[in-house]
Amino acid sequence: MRYFVARVIQALIVVWAVGTLVFFMLRAVPGDPIQALLADVDPSAADAIRAKLGLDQPVFVQYLFWMRNTLAGDLGQSLYGSHQAVSQQIAEAIPRTVSLALVAFLFSFSLGLTAGIVSAVKKDSFLDYGFNLAAFLGISMPSFWIGIVLIIVFAVNLRMFPAIGYKPMSAGLDQWLRYLILPGLAVGLPFSASIARLTRSAMLEVLGQDYITLARSKGLNERRVIFRHALRNALIPVVTVMGISLALLFSGSVVVENVFAIKGLGRVLIQSILNRDYPVVQGSILLVAVLLVFMNLAVDMLYRLIDPRISYD
Amino acid sequence: MNRHLRRIIASLSPRQKAQIEEERRRAYDFDPRDPLFGLSTDELSGPQLSRRSFLRLVAASGGTLSMSHLLGAAGIVLPHAARAAAQSGGHLICGWAGTAEITTLDPAVINAVLQFQVASNVLSGLTHINADLVAEGDLATDWTVSEDGLVWTFNLRQGVTWHNGDAFSAADVVYTYNRSKNPENSIHYGNLINVLDVVALDDLTVQLTLARPQASLLVKTLERSSGRAMTIVNGNAIESLGLQEYGLKPIGTGPFRVTEHQLGQGVVLERFDDYYDPARPVVDKVTIIPIPENEPLAAAIETGDIHLIGGNAVAAELIDRFLANPDLVVDEIPGNGFQSVFINPWREPMKVDDFNPSVDELKQQNGFKVRLALAKAFDRERFIQRALFGRGVPGFGTINPAMGFYFDTAINETSEQRFDVEAAQALLADAGFPNGEGFPTLKLLTTPAGRRAAEVMVDIYRNNLNINLELDVKDFTVLIEDAFRMEYDLMALGSGGDFDPDDGLVDWMQTSSRFNGPNRNDDDLVAQYGERPFGSFSDAHVDDLIDQQAVTADPEARKVLVQEANQITSDKVASIFTHHLTEILVHRAEVTYPAESRIVGLRDLDRASIG
Repeated sequence: MRYFVARVIQALIVVWAVGTLVFFMLRAVPGDPIQALLADVDPSAADAIRAKLGLDQPVFVQYLFWMRNTLAGDLGQSLYGSHQAVSQQIAEAIPRTVSLALVAFLFSFSLGLTAGIVSAVKKDSFLDYGFNLAAFLGISMPSFWIGIVLIIVFAVNLRMFPAIGYKPMSAGLDQWLRYLILPGLAVGLPFSASIARLTRSAMLEVLGQDYITLARSKGLNERRVIFRHALRNALIPVVTVMGISLALLFSGSVVVENVFAIKGLGRVLIQSILNRDYPVVQGSILLVAVLLVFMNLAVDMLYRLIDPRISYD
Repeated sequence: MNRHLRRIIASLSPRQKAQIEEERRRAYDFDPRDPLFGLSTDELSGPQLSRRSFLRLVAASGGTLSMSHLLGAAGIVLPHAARAAAQSGGHLICGWAGTAEITTLDPAVINAVLQFQVASNVLSGLTHINADLVAEGDLATDWTVSEDGLVWTFNLRQGVTWHNGDAFSAADVVYTYNRSKNPENSIHYGNLINVLDVVALDDLTVQLTLARPQASLLVKTLERSSGRAMTIVNGNAIESLGLQEYGLKPIGTGPFRVTEHQLGQGVVLERFDDYYDPARPVVDKVTIIPIPENEPLAAAIETGDIHLIGGNAVAAELIDRFLANPDLVVDEIPGNGFQSVFINPWREPMKVDDFNPSVDELKQQNGFKVRLALAKAFDRERFIQRALFGRGVPGFGTINPAMGFYFDTAINETSEQRFDVEAAQALLADAGFPNGEGFPTLKLLTTPAGRRAAEVMVDIYRNNLNINLELDVKDFTVLIEDAFRMEYDLMALGSGGDFDPDDGLVDWMQTSSRFNGPNRNDDDLVAQYGERPFGSFSDAHVDDLIDQQAVTADPEARKVLVQEANQITSDKVASIFTHHLTEILVHRAEVTYPAESRIVGLRDLDRASIG
């Protein structure tokens, strides 16, 4: 318990450090959001708008305001357009990103784990070579390219799935899934390739251990050896990667979101960086930091469930 | 000009051509000092203008008095094939190209065409331009003007209701004016500088008082979409919803009401049943989805996931593919604005710190020789073919083909910038760089979106002058800072602009232009370069010509001033003028998009139908 509390405190410090770093780095990089906003209007109006948004204050004063508001749960408003609240932008993006992440995770988990186990068990077979080749291709191909190929094959030629867009679950589970299959595959395939490679090597290492030989010599059937004795021990590195992958998936896949015109967290983040929309960048990165830090923490806790020998006390 | 129009013009008889010329002459035949442009107050009053008044106002306001306006003189009526009986109902799905979101629909802060393309379907103005770029009554039914041209009285449409059920009245017009004239509320306050006051005479009558006569009042200031300053908004709705919500789902009096708007995910418009014209809109529902990437946009319209493309310009590389697809309709017309490569005159080896000497005198300076060499070596035809897949027109100035009357069709022959690679090489050699030897590697500043075109430019210069340019790709937010501070060697930048010569000349080519390096003398830069009297270009005679044309009501006289200023900026290489874009509308064949809705830059969907 003490370990858990210490890790939570550490995590909070990391999140604060990330937020602070991002705050000052954003203001250090070139690019003035107000000038860009007023590019086709009268530049002399810029000062009035800066004052209205508090951007005329010294950076440290702005930082103190930001800290105070953030601790109070107010992430601020976008500098652009309708000045939508950052929390609202994030809240609208989260269901899309979580949906996409879940579908992608299901693909990557099921495909990657299956391919990795089969490759390890059938080492040096055609199946192994086939999965290895597929994994290499999966790792090598950028997800936006996979996305475009999927659109051309399954949307344009076969007309099986829509080319772009997103439907919320409230539109029906079938509609929700129909719109997520292609982007989910585009995001999930590269992850599944990594998981397959990792599972294969971890399984091969475990399958070469003495206790596996002992289990086999005791006459246990192969399925029990693989799933009960080998896989469980091989899962530690795989779970680590899957945990980080899930956190990355939750923080949004900007490229695939762009390709499929889904406004998830990734697109919110990239769009705000391009616009130098300070409040949105800060809010989004803070959320991503929280996700990554606490997902890591959750993975650490999961180790104990997988391997009871691991103790944090 | 579209192909159909070109065919019609080619088939005109000499008599018809003479009639057209006579009508054009009559349109410009008025005393420029006359505040009513040679028309009587009756002729100027609405709701419908006579053909004579209409042409006169187009001419006097600097609008496009094009062949399509004038064909009526020859008894030719352009076929509006697309006006065929429209099928009502249905759900039109549109993809908004090249954008991740439609940030706002509040006219006070709209700063992109792709935003007012949507807002124009939701909100109204006193007037709205039609496909001939002439104003028609929108919320105003008719109007009268005083003898001195300073007081305009508008009668408003009766029985108009807002999307929230409020009754529209003159108070809404006054509210909009008071809101928009304040720079803290509206970024378009500058459009109202000439409007001294707006008062409600009664519930359905408003009176505008101007500081001086303004021919463009109806087509620009009071126009519902491109003007934006007097796009009528609902004060009660702004107060009750708040600016954030109003920006996403504004309450208007237009043909569609916004029922859903999630940033980045799309806007849903539904037919407003109480719209003042019961025949419009034709479709029941419109969904607008922002699609940032080209290939998914193409896939979406090819599969029928979307029916029509709006937003930013469709990527040139997709057009031939769309043209080859029988399921799609592609309509191409001249676009507005200009594109160019600015050359920093404060950096060697293209330094010119005074553009006032004559072109012949400037040609004695090495810095100018380099500038001219760069301009003359730029093979515009090749660039347009390779970078834009042929979708563009060579550019030699800020005045573009969409400006019709003001566009100088001979400038590609008369400009010092006309393509001549041998002359360019000779100039470069004269400047001390024979065959490009010793020429420094200059940085070409561009945005990520402009990278492809910039790479073609680099290749053209390597081939034609044997010099190397290095791309300097920066986000627009950074590029615009560098542009304003004159921190670049070469910079690819242009203007979308509107249809008036002021857009290119006043905004870019005068010493005091707002895009002429306004931040060039920031403290840190003065320490480095000293005071710089101008940014990218300055010529006293050009300044004077531009000032004169801005207040010259006589179009023929103005045309002379505009074209002279344009010629000088071209000859003195204010920048390397590269090209003008064309505007392309793409929709599926099952969509009927009437010719009367084909307004350059807009996507008015109230007459569009599907099925």
